[in-house]
Amino acid sequence: MHSPDQSRDEENPILSNPSLSAQDTEAIDRLFDADPSSFIPESDRDHAALNLLGLLSTPVVGERNRPTRIDLIAILAARLESTGVSAQLSPQDQRALDQYIATGYEVGSVEASLRDRAQRCEDLGNVLIGSSSTTGSQSTDLIERTLSRIQSQIDQELSALDINSARKGSFSMRWSDLVSIAAMILLFASVAMPIMSGMRSSSQKNLCFDNMFASANAFGLYAGSNRDMLPMATAGFGPTWMDVGSSPERSNSSNLFTLIRTNLANLDDLACPSNPFAVTGQADPDAWDWRSLKEISYSYRIMPPGGMLATSVAQPVRVVLLSDRSPVVLRVANRTPIIPEENSPNHQGKGQHMLMLDGASIWSSTPVIHNNDNIWLPRPIEQVIHQVRSKLGIIKGSELPDGPTDAFVGP
Amino acid sequence: MKRGQHRKDSVDNWQSQSDEQVFEELRNGNPEAYRVLIERHHDDLLRFLTRMLHDQAAADDIFQETFLQIHISSATFDTSRRFRPWLFTIAANKARDYLRKKNRRKTVDLSAPIRQSESGASFIDLLEVDVPPPSEAMDVSERDEMVQQALSQLGPALREVLLLAYFQRLSYAQIAEDLGIPLGTVKSRMHSAVAAFARSWQVVSKNQDTKEL
Repeated sequence: MHSPDQSRDEENPILSNPSLSAQDTEAIDRLFDADPSSFIPESDRDHAALNLLGLLSTPVVGERNRPTRIDLIAILAARLESTGVSAQLSPQDQRALDQYIATGYEVGSVEASLRDRAQRCEDLGNVLIGSSSTTGSQSTDLIERTLSRIQSQIDQELSALDINSARKGSFSMRWSDLVSIAAMILLFASVAMPIMSGMRSSSQKNLCFDNMFASANAFGLYAGSNRDMLPMATAGFGPTWMDVGSSPERSNSSNLFTLIRTNLANLDDLACPSNPFAVTGQADPDAWDWRSLKEISYSYRIMPPGGMLATSVAQPVRVVLLSDRSPVVLRVANRTPIIPEENSPNHQGKGQHMLMLDGASIWSSTPVIHNNDNIWLPRPIEQVIHQVRSKLGIIKGSELPDGPTDAFVGP
Repeated sequence: MKRGQHRKDSVDNWQSQSDEQVFEELRNGNPEAYRVLIERHHDDLLRFLTRMLHDQAAADDIFQETFLQIHISSATFDTSRRFRPWLFTIAANKARDYLRKKNRRKTVDLSAPIRQSESGASFIDLLEVDVPPPSEAMDVSERDEMVQQALSQLGPALREVLLLAYFQRLSYAQIAEDLGIPLGTVKSRMHSAVAAFARSWQVVSKNQDTKEL
């Protein structure tokens, strides 16, 4: 039985049916899905959606979720800022412009009734691309400077080649010389390899530590310029945050790649020397992510939808922000069983570097840190593993096979 | 053969070659090819960048970086495709990155009211808008200044699509591919950009007329 209030609500179309029309839903979706720096209100509905959401900036008594509100205001303000002049072409002008462009910018090919309007579009274009005021000497200067920069680049490339070719060298020798040298190399290798291996391992560890330091700086700079937010490339993930190199970018690694994309770090800073597939050098300016999982050297904290503030966790709780790459993710990707306490493959399984949210960098010989928190796993899975292990712990050593068909072996 | 004659033959030779053919020469190690491509696209590209960035010095820098990138990425370019759109796409990407970096330090004043559109999306009818052709008597630098002023009223996203369309004469589909955004978005941005530029140009022109009177 309905109460009188319920009946009244059902009669009110707004209260009884609070869902938006399809077009309004589309406008709201477009607003939230868009890149904040480039959202363009395309219709009255978009403007209405912006205005409506702008009301959320009104302070609420006892409001607790202030960071969310501040973010919303900032995003809205940035989006309105990026819009610039608000104007729309009349429907006929829109058709004229579409036809003008579709016919290869030929006014004569536009249908007669729209030709005048297309001509206006062309006039505007002529205004826009009209001749430059750059003088001849300025042009020559710029051309020479550009050529000079390219030449320096070519010189650098050539000098690198020279070094490599000089290293290669060429000389002739007898077979007996070669055998002697090979014997010496073998002798040297048997003595020196263990020492060299240790030195290389130590050197790689040091380089990784330097990378953590460079990353800490980059995270700090990013947060400082983005209202304390940690690097975030997308508003949400696709089917999995392991989808490295997908387009549009939807992996967690694309969030970390934001540091490279924004020139706060470079590929070298995020390449561990012990990862043979790590990419270094200049990043493709259009890249938003590494191309595959194997190229990734470091694992970044999984970002929740909407991102995370660098200041969101009160000290002294230490949160891991970045670490040597996760062996668990690699095993999952290779469809092999995970070993929860396995160390990162970056340093021969001896341990891993961890960069904390407070900027400290540590070396740990186990992925299990304070409060038994395993950095490779989310807490619910850790709990399941703990429960299973607790049950396994009841084996006393006196149990017998359940029957002849029950496979059960002992020491 | 006289040296001057040789130079003339060389110039004639380059003139008969398409951008893509010159680029192939560049890849084969002919250093003169760089100069040919830079000289060919200097005016258009520099104007495109100046319009986009509103900053001559920045436009100069991005111009150089664009050609440096062309050199660095030369091995990856598919010469069955057109050179000019590739050049402009690289320039647009670099200009966008520059603007992003420049704006990174911009802070949002939380106490400031959010700017509302004056009357939602007001419609422009191009036939009712006086779009004066650039006056022949007008000084080139003066006209450049007016275009810059008019463009400055547009947001970066609108400016980018408008400039790419008019400078490269690309279809909506080609722009969408270059910018990596949906076709519908390109179309609606182009509609908004033309409307906004028409309105701004009209305002700027009127101001100019008033000054001259």
